[in-house]
Amino acid sequence: MATKRSTWDKIKWTWQPETKREAGDSIVRNFLLHWFPSKVTRQSLSWNYSFWLGTISAVLFLILILTGIPLMFLYVPSVERAYLSVKDLEFTVSYGWFLRGLHRISAHLMVAVVFLHLVRVFLTGAYKNGTAVNQNRPLNWVIGLLLLLLTLLLSFTGYLLPWDQLAYWAITVGTNIASSAPVVGESMRFFLLGGRTIDQNTLIRFYVLHCFFLPLGVLLLFSYHMWRVRKDGGLACVDQLSLEQKKGPVEPIKSKTYSLLGITSGRTVHVETLIVDEDQHTVTASPNLTRRLMAVTLGTVAVAALLTTLFRAPLEEAANPSVTPNPAKAPWYFLWLQELVTDTTFTIGGITINGALIGGIIVPGLLVVAAIAWVYLDKSPPAAVGVWFAKERRKQNIVFLTVVAAILIFTIIGTYLRGPYWNFYWPWQSWPTMPRQF
Amino acid sequence: MFKRDSILLYSFGGAVLLITGFIFWSYYTPEWKDYQTEFQELVAKRFGPDRADRVPDGLQQIWVKELDRVDRCTTCHQGMEWKGLENAPSPFRSHPQDILKKHPLAQYGCTVCHGGQGYATDVESAHGFTPHWDEPLLAKQVSDLYLIKDKKAMMQINCNICHRYDRETAGADYINQGKQLVQTKNCRACHTINGRGGVIGPDLTNVGDKAPEQYDYSRMLGVKTAFAWHVAHIQNPKALVPETVMPNFGFNSKEAQSLALLVMSWQRASIPTSYRPGVQLVEQQTPEEAEREKQMLTGEGAFFVKKGCFACHSVSAFDIKSASDIGPDLSFAVADVQSRFGKTLGDFLAKPTGTMAVVLSTQIQLSDEERREAVDKLKIAYEKKINQQAQAAQEALNKATSQAEKR
Repeated sequence: MATKRSTWDKIKWTWQPETKREAGDSIVRNFLLHWFPSKVTRQSLSWNYSFWLGTISAVLFLILILTGIPLMFLYVPSVERAYLSVKDLEFTVSYGWFLRGLHRISAHLMVAVVFLHLVRVFLTGAYKNGTAVNQNRPLNWVIGLLLLLLTLLLSFTGYLLPWDQLAYWAITVGTNIASSAPVVGESMRFFLLGGRTIDQNTLIRFYVLHCFFLPLGVLLLFSYHMWRVRKDGGLACVDQLSLEQKKGPVEPIKSKTYSLLGITSGRTVHVETLIVDEDQHTVTASPNLTRRLMAVTLGTVAVAALLTTLFRAPLEEAANPSVTPNPAKAPWYFLWLQELVTDTTFTIGGITINGALIGGIIVPGLLVVAAIAWVYLDKSPPAAVGVWFAKERRKQNIVFLTVVAAILIFTIIGTYLRGPYWNFYWPWQSWPTMPRQF
Repeated sequence: MFKRDSILLYSFGGAVLLITGFIFWSYYTPEWKDYQTEFQELVAKRFGPDRADRVPDGLQQIWVKELDRVDRCTTCHQGMEWKGLENAPSPFRSHPQDILKKHPLAQYGCTVCHGGQGYATDVESAHGFTPHWDEPLLAKQVSDLYLIKDKKAMMQINCNICHRYDRETAGADYINQGKQLVQTKNCRACHTINGRGGVIGPDLTNVGDKAPEQYDYSRMLGVKTAFAWHVAHIQNPKALVPETVMPNFGFNSKEAQSLALLVMSWQRASIPTSYRPGVQLVEQQTPEEAEREKQMLTGEGAFFVKKGCFACHSVSAFDIKSASDIGPDLSFAVADVQSRFGKTLGDFLAKPTGTMAVVLSTQIQLSDEERREAVDKLKIAYEKKINQQAQAAQEALNKATSQAEKR
């Protein structure tokens, strides 16, 4: 029964399907939703398995694109005008303060949420392959790591754009750490800055990276990330279902689109999975997935917008290369590194060991290498896939949580407990007042 | 399990709507709108509803491209150029008109003289007493901080950014006093200002650009600001910088404030030529001053002028007058050094002690030949002085005897 469907029909869907057929159709025949399965397991929809952190980061990225586009029309990437155009955003552009604030808050949230997503995936062992064929979850973990690095770079490049003291000196600290890499450090910094100092060349480089290349990278990798999630059989917790199922032949499924784990290439409809009782474990994606997705989207928007109205985006004095603010801090998500740099700088017998190499290059480098190698070395059984704190992976989780805790503690020290001259101050100790002109 | 999602969906949707509503509401009710309404009511009351209708509404700004300023102050201060609002309440009172004639609002804006944050459109940020804005409104609030009675005193810093080469600027009393002190105390003996002067102290030509963080406040009490530092330092240099050779001139606090304002006005500013007040871009000298300088540079004591000794010392025998007179008259150095330091002048110049040890090792370095020349010249000066004194004494004696004889 081929009916002619208008474009509008291809985009809209029903929130209250009356039959399973209608429910399936609203996913499969819908342009916006066709990349979802038409049936989803209850586990993968549950709040406290995934906390929907991946979805939230995707929504934040969407907010960032939607607010970033008008900002591109209002911001002038020039050393003379950048600061003024941000002042104008704050004071005269209609809703300019909100656009900028929402963009900033979403960027900060995205860094945090993407990191939490990584923590969740590790603690649930979700980077491990289950029993289904052609899975490659370790690869998706690596893609995810790249996405985290891109997120950090996006945030870092955006940090410079207001061209105020905060921006200028955060980038100074950040790129100085980068320059302490052996052999290539100096030339890396030169390449990054387009010169030896942060100036117009740096600004335009960061701007182009921030507005085009890095978002493009995120989009491409994100698409692949999502495609792999589908190819790997959905969230890892689903793999537990197949372990629990009794073995038995599965009726050939007529249409690929109606199967839950339509995962194998070249096998089309003859899927040899062990899902027996679909009804018991699954629900139709429409409206259960779509509604929850919408709730998560709205919730993310609401929280980000609320935070935007509560915490106005800071804009310090215009960038001044001859006056270093005290303390000069990197963006908060790099403060654990800055703290590490301070703590690993010490003097023995007149020789000063500069911590920038240890804290800025070696430790984060090792962490990235370890994070990649880990997922290929983890030989725990399939029973530990997609389970929070599986007892088979207890030692792994302890090591991982120790590293995470260390990063968090160092970040908190760097953010809240470091004052002028990078001296340590408890929250109840007041910082010395910094001199002013009048 | 999934039924409750609808509740969540609606509550998040409601939250988004509420926040959107708040943002719209705040967009349509900015602070400045109240001031504009009030101003229109004031105009209606004083000049009738017709004039009130013609008052512009919405954000107002003065964009002065040449000075790189965007000032939105007139959004609330709408009566600046109005006649008949001289006694109106703030913020509607009109600006004193005389000064506006020379500095038209459209060409100068507001902040270039008054300070404050021109970009801002709310009261607090506009007046610039917010964190991260280093140019607050230079008015009562700042004057009060330093117990200066004249609430416009601080603003004179900005006057002198353009008027720095004026000998005197009408209305800038503090700056004028400061400039006079620079002349009478001869600050140029040690400091270069506008390209002219000595090298014993730092070049002060652009010292106003120095950031507040760049001063050492460790020996200072009270508020830690660049202005307070200057006042304290001018009043007692050694108290803030123990190793300084700058003398304590015993300035009173008004004098020190004047000088601090002047010093802070010495900023590197790119002022378009058309904005320069109609004077040459050099410090002006009176003809007498120029003549005197020429005399000193060509006369018998030219050596002491060229080497910079006259910054601190007069050599009255050669008619060389030091403006500061920090050190003793060198005419008597030959005898003076012997009695004070117990060595000959030649030995002292070769191995000086005290302040002269600092000066002669850094600022004024003499070769062996120059030292001999100095000693020779000062011996001549001393003889000249002794002869003069002997002559004067003789004359006085003659006068006394003749008077006595007459009696």
